[in-house]
Amino acid sequence: MREVYCVGIGITSFTRLEYPLAEIAAYPGMMALKDSGLSKVDHVYVANMGGGKVNHQTGLASAVVDQLSLAPAGAETIENGPASGASAVKQGFMAVASGMCDTVMVIGAERMREVNDLESTEFVATLTHPHAEYIYGVTLPSLAGMFARLYMDKYGATPRHLGMVAVKNHDHAMDNFFAHLHERITLEGIIDSPEASTNNPIVADPLRFYDCCPVSDGAACVILASGDAAKKTGKPRVRLAGVGQATDTLAVHDRKDPTDLLAARGAAANAFKMAGLKPSQVDVAELHDAFTILEIAESEEVGFFKKGEGHLALEKGETRLGGSLPINPSGGLKAKGHPVGATGVGQAHEIVLQLRGEAEKRQVKGAKVGFTCNFGGFGNNVVCLAFKKEG
Amino acid sequence: MEMNIFGYKCKKCGTVHYPFRTICKKCGHTIFADKAEGYELVPLSKKGKLLTWTRLRSLPGDFEVPELLLGIVQLDDGNRVTGQLDIASPKTGMKVDGEVRIVRRDGYNEYKGMVFESA
Repeated sequence: MREVYCVGIGITSFTRLEYPLAEIAAYPGMMALKDSGLSKVDHVYVANMGGGKVNHQTGLASAVVDQLSLAPAGAETIENGPASGASAVKQGFMAVASGMCDTVMVIGAERMREVNDLESTEFVATLTHPHAEYIYGVTLPSLAGMFARLYMDKYGATPRHLGMVAVKNHDHAMDNFFAHLHERITLEGIIDSPEASTNNPIVADPLRFYDCCPVSDGAACVILASGDAAKKTGKPRVRLAGVGQATDTLAVHDRKDPTDLLAARGAAANAFKMAGLKPSQVDVAELHDAFTILEIAESEEVGFFKKGEGHLALEKGETRLGGSLPINPSGGLKAKGHPVGATGVGQAHEIVLQLRGEAEKRQVKGAKVGFTCNFGGFGNNVVCLAFKKEG
Repeated sequence: MEMNIFGYKCKKCGTVHYPFRTICKKCGHTIFADKAEGYELVPLSKKGKLLTWTRLRSLPGDFEVPELLLGIVQLDDGNRVTGQLDIASPKTGMKVDGEVRIVRRDGYNEYKGMVFESA
């Protein structure tokens, strides 16, 4: 396999965007071309989950490649639920590593705010098992709620720990211009005060409003290149060193221990193995905190902390900017936002920014190894990426 | 007539699958081959223990109720199901009794599934 480098990045604000889906997708592509100095790429991969269902647009990649005047470059749309983004990065990695392409543009894009909240919740709920879950009214927040209750009973995490994830990630997002939520919150406001139950109502008990990510529009792009092609761009040498993926049962009740996220564990192990890295070497990570409980659980499953101790590390401030392993310096899905198909590429964007040392106020000092976990479905399809700064 | 939710019992190794899968997870037998050779339908138990639950207040469009109680139940026969709860204040570990009822209406379509009450 050839080595693969990240030579260009671009992103839109994750928020409500009043532009057509293909234009939202094309914008970070344009920025990434500028960033890399390239004017053409061999292939374009566009990650998108809801174009067909929410925006009445299928085959998005064909529209995007035309928007960017990159034709006749090859182009494909990648749909893998909320892990579409990292899946598209994986496809791009395979194209360059195999020698089939020298330069590949990977875009993730979503426009969920075209429909109302009920319709977007319903759209994401189509990820659940059609007969064994969906018909009952099961949504992603309800699976996360049931998971959170089991996890908290088993490992002693409390609603305060969930609140700490939210407070931390909202704090981080204050320094991210592109984040959806620029709103500082406190444990007092969302948990301790008499007004907390109004400020922070139940969504899927024990999860409350501030435990859930917002519904966002947005897009991000990473351009990948072979070693030789990367050298020509003169950009900092950030290598995509490891890509790992694993799957689990579709229905959550079908798992031997429903508090295990085996797909996250497997995907992370595969990514670290390919990269020749250990979890202890990671300087900065972006984890898939669509719900606060997931940041805690994933921080254990990917190998940063022992099982059941993620909430203790959080409590000590280890995962905050300035801590021993900052998690979600971008604000995470919780506060940066979660345009489903764009999220995995957005995570990669943040890590490249961090490893280049260009993250400004939220820069993790001296970061050399970065890691992302993009969690699809409710943990049934997970893609992890490991990045390494060279030179 | 009493209604049931059925599991799919692999005819080779006896593993009960719920929901259905085409190839047995345990022994690799092709369950889907045909009904005579592949699987046997077995009604799932309706009694069990509540493994975990949630009170959902952000509902999909089809539900015209303020909240929905959902849970995963560990059935007495060793299988597990997700279902709705008709229990005012559920507690993890409580004994529950299930019944097949209409769980969702979407226009003229009705969907039936397991609803649990406190035993």
